[in-house]
Amino acid sequence: MLEIKCPYCGKRSQNEFSYGGDATVKRPTLGEEISTEDWDNFVYFRDNPRGKHTELWHHVSGCRQWFKASRDTATHEIFDTCKMNEALNE
Amino acid sequence: MSNAYRTKNSTGLINKNKKINFTFNGHTYHGYEGDTLASALISNGIHLIGRSFKYHRPRGFLGVGVEEPNAMVQLHEGNKSEPNIIATEVELVEGLKAKSQNCWPSVQFDIGEVNNLLNRFFPAGFYYKTFMWPKSFWMKIYEPFIRKAAGMGVAPLQPDPDRYEHNYEHCDVLVVGSGPSGLASALAAAKNGARVILAEDKANFGGSLLTDEVTIGNMSGKEWANDTVAQLKSLPNVILKKRSQVFGYYDHNMTVMIERVSDHQENPSKYTPRQRLHYIRAGEVIVSTGSIERPISFGNNDRPGILLASAAKEYMTVYETLVGKKPIIFTNNDTAYSTALEFLKNDITPVILDTRNNSNGELVKEVKQKGVNIRFNSGIADTKGHLKIKSAVIGELDKDKENFTSLESIDCDCICMSGGWTPTVHLSSQAGNKLKFNEEIDAFVPDKKRQRESAVGAANGSFTLNQSLAEGFQVGFDLSNKFTDNNIVTNTPNSKEPKYEKHERLWCMPLPQGKTPKRFIDFQNDVAVSDVELAIREGFRSIEHVKRYTTLGMAGDQGKTSNLNGLQYVSNIEKKIVPEVGHTTFRPPYTPVTIGAIVGREVGNHYLPTRKSPIHNWHEENNAVFVAAGLWQRPRYYPKESENMNDAVNREAANVRSNVGICDVTTLGKIDIKGPDAPEFLNRVYTNAWLKLPVGKARYGVMLREDGMVFDDGTTSRLSENHFHMTTTTAQAANVLSHLEYYLQVVWPELDVNVLSTTEQWSGIAVAGPKSRELLSKLFPNIDLSNEGLPFMGLVDTNIDGIFARIYRISFSGELAYEVNVESNFGLHMWKRIMDVGKAFNIEPYGTEALSTLRIEMGHVAGAELDGRAVPFDVGLNGMVSKKKDFIGKRSLSKEAFTSEDRQTIVGLVPLDKRTKIPEGSHIVENDKVASPVPKLGHVSSSCWSVEYNNPFSIAIIKDGKNKIGKNLFAVSPLKDISIPVEVVSSHYVDPDGERVRS
Amino acid sequence: MQKYSVFSLVKNAFTNHQDWEVAWKDPEPKKEYDVIIIGGGGHGLATAYYLAKEHGITNVAILEKGWIGGGNVGRNTTILRSNYMFDSNANFYEFGMKLWETLSQELNYNVMYSPRGIINLAHSDAQMNAYARRGNSMRLNGIDAILLSRDEIKQMIPFADFSETCRFPIHGGLMQPRGGTARHDAVAWGYARQADSMGVDIIQNCEVTGFDVNNGKIEGVQTSRGSIKTKKVGLCVAGSTTLLADMLNMRLPIEAHVLQACVSEPVKPLLHQVVTFGAGHFYCSQSDKGEMVMGGDLDGYNSYAQRGNMPMIQHVLTGGLAVFPNFSRLKMLRTWGGIMDMSMDGSPIIDKTHIDGVYLNCGWCYGGFKATPSSGWVFAHTIAQDKVHELNSDFNLERFHTGKIIDEKGVGPKPWIG
Repeated sequence: MLEIKCPYCGKRSQNEFSYGGDATVKRPTLGEEISTEDWDNFVYFRDNPRGKHTELWHHVSGCRQWFKASRDTATHEIFDTCKMNEALNE
Repeated sequence: MSNAYRTKNSTGLINKNKKINFTFNGHTYHGYEGDTLASALISNGIHLIGRSFKYHRPRGFLGVGVEEPNAMVQLHEGNKSEPNIIATEVELVEGLKAKSQNCWPSVQFDIGEVNNLLNRFFPAGFYYKTFMWPKSFWMKIYEPFIRKAAGMGVAPLQPDPDRYEHNYEHCDVLVVGSGPSGLASALAAAKNGARVILAEDKANFGGSLLTDEVTIGNMSGKEWANDTVAQLKSLPNVILKKRSQVFGYYDHNMTVMIERVSDHQENPSKYTPRQRLHYIRAGEVIVSTGSIERPISFGNNDRPGILLASAAKEYMTVYETLVGKKPIIFTNNDTAYSTALEFLKNDITPVILDTRNNSNGELVKEVKQKGVNIRFNSGIADTKGHLKIKSAVIGELDKDKENFTSLESIDCDCICMSGGWTPTVHLSSQAGNKLKFNEEIDAFVPDKKRQRESAVGAANGSFTLNQSLAEGFQVGFDLSNKFTDNNIVTNTPNSKEPKYEKHERLWCMPLPQGKTPKRFIDFQNDVAVSDVELAIREGFRSIEHVKRYTTLGMAGDQGKTSNLNGLQYVSNIEKKIVPEVGHTTFRPPYTPVTIGAIVGREVGNHYLPTRKSPIHNWHEENNAVFVAAGLWQRPRYYPKESENMNDAVNREAANVRSNVGICDVTTLGKIDIKGPDAPEFLNRVYTNAWLKLPVGKARYGVMLREDGMVFDDGTTSRLSENHFHMTTTTAQAANVLSHLEYYLQVVWPELDVNVLSTTEQWSGIAVAGPKSRELLSKLFPNIDLSNEGLPFMGLVDTNIDGIFARIYRISFSGELAYEVNVESNFGLHMWKRIMDVGKAFNIEPYGTEALSTLRIEMGHVAGAELDGRAVPFDVGLNGMVSKKKDFIGKRSLSKEAFTSEDRQTIVGLVPLDKRTKIPEGSHIVENDKVASPVPKLGHVSSSCWSVEYNNPFSIAIIKDGKNKIGKNLFAVSPLKDISIPVEVVSSHYVDPDGERVRS
Repeated sequence: MQKYSVFSLVKNAFTNHQDWEVAWKDPEPKKEYDVIIIGGGGHGLATAYYLAKEHGITNVAILEKGWIGGGNVGRNTTILRSNYMFDSNANFYEFGMKLWETLSQELNYNVMYSPRGIINLAHSDAQMNAYARRGNSMRLNGIDAILLSRDEIKQMIPFADFSETCRFPIHGGLMQPRGGTARHDAVAWGYARQADSMGVDIIQNCEVTGFDVNNGKIEGVQTSRGSIKTKKVGLCVAGSTTLLADMLNMRLPIEAHVLQACVSEPVKPLLHQVVTFGAGHFYCSQSDKGEMVMGGDLDGYNSYAQRGNMPMIQHVLTGGLAVFPNFSRLKMLRTWGGIMDMSMDGSPIIDKTHIDGVYLNCGWCYGGFKATPSSGWVFAHTIAQDKVHELNSDFNLERFHTGKIIDEKGVGPKPWIG
């Protein structure tokens, strides 16, 4: 069971959180013209790295805040977590 | 011959004052408090316990603890029956019932042993090479035959009557194993102020200190262990756990431990759990799990009575039990000589065979001094004795130790073998530690750690007491100081132990000339040396291939005594060093874990929580039949007297169409949305326009996923300028809230909006039907419920009996309808008030089935249509999609496939005979007479009996639906062998213009 | 090649099995091959076999980073079925079922194909309806399927929870009688042995480290055992697809996730079908050895670790006891994990790529094992003919642009949501 540090609440066990996927995927700006390829890249295509992965977690059984985490997909080590408006320590 | 095999001296942990009776294979025996089932059986002279998996060979005990591969029994009876229990791990308790398994008709005479006679035909992987002809025989004959032979014990058929619990623990330092290094590290860490948990698998703390003759400070090893445990017990920062095995080491230093709580108790209280699963998040983990002795492979080395030398010693020293009275000790190292000395204490002189040419170790000298003849450079070639060892064929080895130079037979009643020691590295390896091979001890030891895990003592390859204690005290202090910074050092006491000479790298004896007895490596799975040879001969060279082809190490003991010997043998054949061969992966659990304990209390009705509306009891009292809606229980229909479901549903639905009905809609998801940007937010979330929704009005909305599929729908109303009340479907309530939070927090943090679930805060009651206005006007005389006063999609706040109530004029049934919302606590009160007043209007409650009927007739889409694969155009929601603004998922809607002509879209269906109900899940075809594959136009998503027209009606999603209206097609259900001619009609079957809801 | 049969087994028994030949050789890589298959898993081995057998292309190398059969073909729960709703999946997997039926004879290797039936349990009328939709679709496609009532299920698995206290009572189920299991390792070894006998080089411990692409055409691969020339490369490395695709500058609609499975200790035969629980994440079958083979859902976050965590095991076994409360006193013996190539619509990708001569076989999600024969067959065709076969024409990459996605579950592009 992973131990995840919610930037608002502190360290908690994984079963309080739900996963939100790749955090580097940026939703295209609303109302802006966008090519089909760029749109599909947003909806379907992923970098899927082995190693450091910037991802979203939701403290769903806690403060209900979404936040960012930097985690190794091969070892599951979590390097850092931060609020959405902060930058992860790289 | 009751307890004829007890030691002379009572220096162990057996309480002879407390006799315990038990039965094995129907015979009653007795042992004493402190015995395991294993020691109690051996003390009664019983070694034959069960039969092996493949060849059904008679088997007894190899070990004394978790390493035991052979001695598995079926324990207890009935719903408490338990298969595959290793007798060495069972503490004796009054009335215990055990029997042998994998044998028929009895363990002494087992028909399955014919496999052993034919074993030359059943080498590793034989089943891959045969049973292929003729083809049909595999399923009909061969496999059933093989399956009959499968398995060891028998699974119970009833639910488990026992109770299991979970516990979550945190500590600074978890110490796994209470041998010398474990006790030392626990003591050092605890004295330095760290929060310590010490876990010991066995019923007694002390590990090897309970069996080894050593001195620590001025105490014996056992005294020092007792003293240290007493010290630890006195400290408030220490938790000591016996009968507790840490079996898994997971990410982020999460370990999982299973505690046997009440199996050893004679009459546990009703609420005592049988086992407890502990999730322990440890700051640091000290792995002091010791080591396990290695067996030696020689001909027929699996007979009952052949066991590990250390096990024999522990049976004597701890359990006061003699494994035999005519022992042979067979070793490649010095440690087995301590077993010899134990026998000598009981006036039993063993025959000692040592593969080495000589040894001058202290114990060897001591044994020599006692006049025991040691046969160096010797080994065992073969053994005899069907149900128990009777004699051994022994001999001297040649210079290369590849052949015997001479052979002779000697009688014996047990063989105690020692092939040296394997550190128990499982937890370190599970933690991600890359192991390295230590050539000094010929075994893998932990190396580079990935988590906060430190191995000490024998688990770290440190086989002397001196080293173990030094490492334990040092590591215990170092790690604890990370947490406490107290710098309180506990000094390492002096210790005295015998000096050992090196083992010999020889684990497999040559075969006797001209004979090919099986030399087993993995006992439980019957994997012999010849199987490993065959695997390699056939090209299965990777150690993983060897494991899979031969099943080496894959039995219940997970190769605790066999893996390293297997590896060693592969390395010998391949002429590679062991680290080049590598090792297979160590996976949790270390020992098999009761599934019930992993699950805990979430069994039976508690599998998942049950959610009930505040009106639930009323429904129950009024004969409701319930249906699960996710976690919720909702009334499905309310049968009267002899009504069946169809009758009840038709009555309830018809009553809504003609009078008035009442329905509990509390389960709908409700979300409170507040903030100056709330209208803009809703405008982005929903496909339709929201900016201009007036205060006091509700609107139906549809939301999509980014891939364009309909995600959810519901009505949302504007309570004030910046305050909205959203409703969602029951099923998606939680997902919609997370979805909204995601967009607000991650995508558009600039929007000033807050969302909060209020599902539990409101109770919702739908009042639907032409008489609903009259009814509510009577109940709420002070508010204007006229079409002008409260128009369709309007809402009004009011009070009744001092309770706040909000009345929405919304409709799911297509009739004139209202939804009354009150605080949950008053839901039941409100419901009863409406029922009271409603009597005069023939009000009747209706359940989810009637609710479905009403919405299907109207062509309102719900979960069956919105199945995660529908874009709005598929389900007739075209009008809901704004062309002017952007919203979540809009860009996807322009995809070629979503707008193509042959896309499946929503229609209505009426059977031509106006009688035959179309089963949901039927498919629509043009021609029902063609052979498969039949081209499919689409499927029937929802069906009902239209109470309006008194005939069946269905909603279907079919190819190019719009242009199929008026056509005759077939609804087919090959599963039910039916084909129904149908006419395609509009999905809006009743009141297509929606006049009623606005009336 | 030695033929395996009961006669050869008996004959060899009298020479103490000293005369068995290697199942496959251990060759050094040649300088050039007509086709290189990357990945010595089930799909790669099957592809090489069908290239040789169906298309006469035998100058083929399989490059395997570790040992053959070590990926998901050796880590799955061995289930075979073609109980799919959408035509693209149904036709493809049904083609595979037909290959399974004769695979032991074809490969002269007993893969223990065991069509014992797979039952999907339903716990509500709505679920029965959804199963009816799928079952009817199967039947119309010529695939076997039957609906089972609660009573019929009680006959088959009387020890399932039919009690009053059951949280989600069993309403009925959908059964594919021809569904079943096969012995997973045997599939890899059987294909390997035959491919080897037809001239395919199986090269283990050979990691691909780069591709030689010139003017949009593949010319060779770089490996830990030197560079090898070729004009065609097939990628069969589900679980690691992105890592190789990165070397080809391809970004894919795939995420790697870990799926765990576990087995109980072996017990005497009890459960004679494959059973899936409809109210939670759990499925189970009993192996010919007697172990209950159990699985459920992804651990729930991107992962390249071939191991999982405890919460998912607990979650899956909790579902297990909800169906089979008598399993409580059995013991969990072993757990393991495999890396899934989770595609964004849950269906595989078998297609050509933007590079001439590079072919892609990936995105198998949880379902790759049963596809081994059909995947190998169509992929061999696609490589040999440089053209997709009708059976894999819908499994293209383009569908993520056109919208012709094949989403059996309807959960959308979030693979971690079960």
